[in-house]
Amino acid sequence: MLEVRDIHKWYGAFHAVRGVGFRASRGEVVGLLGPNGAGKTTTIRMITGVFPPSQGTILIDGVSVLDQPEESRRRIGYLPESAPLYPEMSVLGYLNYRARLFDIPGRDRADALERALTIGSLQDVRRKRIGTLSKGFRQRVGLAAAALHHPGLLVLDEPANGLDPTQIKHMRETVRELARDSCVLLSSHILSEVELTCDRVVIIASGRVLADGTPAELRRAHASDASMLIEITESEATAAIISIRSTPGVSEVDSLKTDNGCRTLRVRLRPEHAAPRDTALAVARSLHGVGVVPRSLTSEDPSLERVFHALLETQASGSAA
Amino acid sequence: MSASLTIARRELSSYFRLPVGWFTIALFLFLCGCVFGLIVLVPGKVASLRVFFGAAGWILLPVVPALSMRLFSEEMRSGTIEPLVTSPAREFSIVLGKYLGAASMLALMLLPTLLYAVILARVSARVPEPGPLAAGYLSLLLPGLFYLSIGTFCSALTNNQTLAFLATLFILVALMLASALGPAVAPLWLHPVLAWFSFETRIQDFAKGVIDLRHVIFFLIASVLPLTLAGVTLRARRLG
Repeated sequence: MLEVRDIHKWYGAFHAVRGVGFRASRGEVVGLLGPNGAGKTTTIRMITGVFPPSQGTILIDGVSVLDQPEESRRRIGYLPESAPLYPEMSVLGYLNYRARLFDIPGRDRADALERALTIGSLQDVRRKRIGTLSKGFRQRVGLAAAALHHPGLLVLDEPANGLDPTQIKHMRETVRELARDSCVLLSSHILSEVELTCDRVVIIASGRVLADGTPAELRRAHASDASMLIEITESEATAAIISIRSTPGVSEVDSLKTDNGCRTLRVRLRPEHAAPRDTALAVARSLHGVGVVPRSLTSEDPSLERVFHALLETQASGSAA
Repeated sequence: MSASLTIARRELSSYFRLPVGWFTIALFLFLCGCVFGLIVLVPGKVASLRVFFGAAGWILLPVVPALSMRLFSEEMRSGTIEPLVTSPAREFSIVLGKYLGAASMLALMLLPTLLYAVILARVSARVPEPGPLAAGYLSLLLPGLFYLSIGTFCSALTNNQTLAFLATLFILVALMLASALGPAVAPLWLHPVLAWFSFETRIQDFAKGVIDLRHVIFFLIASVLPLTLAGVTLRARRLG
């Protein structure tokens, strides 16, 4: 559906995007992750045709964004960051305007508008002026307008920006629903949200792709360390911490919380020392050796956030070297 | 063309949904009303709309930039330009749509002034004739369309509405001055060229009741150039 091949963007002497490339298929939600200034929005703007890449190719269903701009734009639905809309227009008026702009024939327009109103759950505010709507509703109007012409590729720039948790959940459900028959590319800096919404993640920093894969693949490949959570009785905490710290393969022990006389410890393991499973066993034996019986012992999956930070740190140390 | 009409329709309706649109109409009609009531409709004098058309032409100078200033500047400021340029509409269709919307607004703004002709027909011994009346309106509409095209171009250059307004006003005043002072300072051999480019002379012809097709074509062609520049600006902005 979407094929981005080695795209570059120069702003004068500044090389903002340096050979970004990835693919995305129909039915897939792909998250574009990166710190501020990483080149996410520039990449998105090149894909949507706001401006062309200085070098490289972008194909949407085999149609080149550069060579057939009008044709490619028909296949894209775009929600820019902070959903810019005309505040003086009504919701229905704006959607109708977008439908005409995308040449949706008169006989299909009513159905397309109803579908868009359903996508955004906007039926109750259809006659309201956009300027009077809350941020969440405006975001939904932008999303409905982007999906109105049934595009093969939906590009959403920070769709959850400024939304409250309920609105974020609604946005996530809508995006998953839209991905049933479209390809969705979304950028976000809310890592937990990307983890929940996206099938695949492309991590960008300094205009380059640092990683591309499913959240599980990225965790396996890029998490700097594994960790486990151990619940012990408060009175045994000091002995347990000393014992765990002396276990080979343990890099760090963090005391997290105390609840009902129980302390939770996070034990970070060095994957280069041994397999995390072996180190976990060594920790259990060590605790047994000092007479501490843990209440629970669970392995903790590294979050996407840790993967993200590990990648950025690797990249920063690489640049410094 | 369909995209241009869609954009024109949205643009026209937005004038009536925003205070700035109503304020511009009110200002124009108030000033026109003052001219008609205080200068044209004087008891004991022969009433003629010629004076009104001459004065209304000057009133258009600040009014047209007020109509055109937000066409692109506001889209760029608010970010709505992104969904617009990522629609299948081409740059020149967008420019044409914006221009047609503002041009329709200008025409609608002139419409209520037809009432002056009706009033004149009732109170004056001399009923206004349709020919000179049409020529008088062309003396407002055609330069107005030309001014609008300059305003559209200026609006495409900046995301600041005030700057777009001032730039348009400055260009229009500069053109007026060049038209009026040009013959006094230019060498003799340049006079025929200046006369051909002078839109002041053409406006005066219309005001006299003369509808010269060459004048009509002149204003229409003169309007195409700034619109083309606006399209080129939009495309250049897209090409980064």
